[in-house]
Amino acid sequence: MNTDRFMLGVPSSKRTVAASLVVLAAMLVVPFVTTSYYTGLAMTALVFLMLGVSWNLLAGYAGQISLGHAAFFGLGAYVAAWLTTPSAAGLPAIPFPLSHPVVALVLGGVGAALVALVTGPVMFRLRGHYFAIGTLALAAIIRLILTDQRSISGGSTGYYLNAGMGEIPTYLLTVVVAALATIGVYLVVNSRLGLGMRAIHDDETAASGLGVDPLRYKMYAFLISAFVAGLAGAAYALNSLYINPTSTLAVTWTVDTLVIVILGGMGTVAGPLFGTVIFMIIDNGLASVLGGLATTVEGIIIILVVIFLPNGIYGYLKSYVAQRREGDTATSS
Amino acid sequence: MVSIDLLAQTVSNGILLGGIYALAALGLSLIFGIMDVVNLAHGHLLMLGGYVAIVLFTMAGLSPLVGMLAAMLVLFVIGIVLQRALLERVVDEGIEQPILVLFGVALVFQNLGQHFLGSDAQSTELTLGLGGLNLGSVLLSPSRTVTFVIAVLLVVLTWLFLEYTSTGHAIRATSQNRAAARYVGIDTDRIYMLTMGIGAALAGAAGSLLSMLFPIDPYVGWSYLLKSFAVVVLGGVGSIIGTLVGGVILGTAENVTALFLGGSYRDVMTFTIFLLVLLLKPEGLFGTGGGGE
Repeated sequence: MNTDRFMLGVPSSKRTVAASLVVLAAMLVVPFVTTSYYTGLAMTALVFLMLGVSWNLLAGYAGQISLGHAAFFGLGAYVAAWLTTPSAAGLPAIPFPLSHPVVALVLGGVGAALVALVTGPVMFRLRGHYFAIGTLALAAIIRLILTDQRSISGGSTGYYLNAGMGEIPTYLLTVVVAALATIGVYLVVNSRLGLGMRAIHDDETAASGLGVDPLRYKMYAFLISAFVAGLAGAAYALNSLYINPTSTLAVTWTVDTLVIVILGGMGTVAGPLFGTVIFMIIDNGLASVLGGLATTVEGIIIILVVIFLPNGIYGYLKSYVAQRREGDTATSS
Repeated sequence: MVSIDLLAQTVSNGILLGGIYALAALGLSLIFGIMDVVNLAHGHLLMLGGYVAIVLFTMAGLSPLVGMLAAMLVLFVIGIVLQRALLERVVDEGIEQPILVLFGVALVFQNLGQHFLGSDAQSTELTLGLGGLNLGSVLLSPSRTVTFVIAVLLVVLTWLFLEYTSTGHAIRATSQNRAAARYVGIDTDRIYMLTMGIGAALAGAAGSLLSMLFPIDPYVGWSYLLKSFAVVVLGGVGSIIGTLVGGVILGTAENVTALFLGGSYRDVMTFTIFLLVLLLKPEGLFGTGGGGE
């Protein structure tokens, strides 16, 4: 019985901290104990984790289904590219502290958040379906404009970065940033701020009646979400050292992010973590078996999980464990 | 400086294209008005309709006009299946689930199209023994004129169906008050199925008509979804005249933008108009839409 509980039990907070530290340590040693292929996979997983964490905050907690997340990812990637390699966009030389990859990465997030700051008050005049489609349109506009402005985006030929940090330092930086982003979002959702976001998700009218200003909380969620998505984009750019408007702004990034969060469980902290692991297995395992039909399987997974496991795999495990527990207490009493 | 003749030609081409946009938007508007769901897969249904016509044209040499009828039939069935198999389970469950399920459906269609039909853009050709209509310096090309007339005809037929048949009345009753419709004995589940079927068939017709003017590839879905939605927003949900006018405004604005700013700004203009109308006049130009939901 006790072992059962240990295996299945919802970890206590101490156990969660211990498990998180083990995962973090494991991620940090990946480049030293495995090949560059696996480091690459781990890097991709970290980028997806950040995207998942950021979309989950906006959609899972604040209830704002954005279909334009790729825009913030792509903007983060381009800001990092412009700062580290200004000459490729015909920009004047950027002075040292700003052109350093670490600073460029953070500013990638800041750049995305600034765009969210400007577009947010406009987008949040839309609600529900209209917000979803509005964000889809906004992302399409940003992608079309950047694709057309070849001189600053490299057009379809692309943009080569000269960040000069090397594979392993970039990877370690990404581990740290992804960990900080995940912890940061965790702290946000467990604070008053997160409570406000959940309140407007559950019932916007009731929340505003109780003095929670919906726009303010939506904006906080949007800004933090865009910032983390921008960090993910900047990390992606600094690692791949080559970007183009399609590779960074295409709707695929939004799709993969949705799959990760929905699969793992929307509105749960562990959801994006679970989702990223499962997604990486699907994406690399199934893709080699299914070839070109991998997206079809992803689409079917979205549909099935939304219909049959609306709380995602983590949510399902949690309620399963809770049921077992109830059964235990019932038999022992 | 653009000559007046060229501008007139561009505007008239835009108006003719707008008829097809109105047809595509009518399907979306119907589904939204009755089921309160924005069909995120609408552009992808349109793409499938285009491909039905393309496959019949390239493989069997059938005229795309015949292809259009086939596409409407195929899409009608697909719409019903989608409703029965998936949407029925989520349609009254708030907004997140239908959005995400339809997003998944769109992905599946796009990927299947890309896998089985290839990523290359294809089109059909309308061969008619007719010359273009000459209106002064403006030439209305036969394929643009015929597709416009068919599109407007289908819009009017749908309107007549909704206005003058008992099934049409049942559909409208369901859209106004679902519970009341049930009390008077309307099988609303059947109405939802029919609505999805008709909405999808209209998207299919629009796709076939577009294949006669522009090449279609598996990635056009998102763009046509946004265009259709822009027309719905412009014209207001449930207004036939509004939808037609909205289609014409969008088609004209797009073509004029392409003329002055270059082809790559065509879609930028569409999406900008869409966002502006949504923000400034969410009830639509004809006042029946509901921008709040």
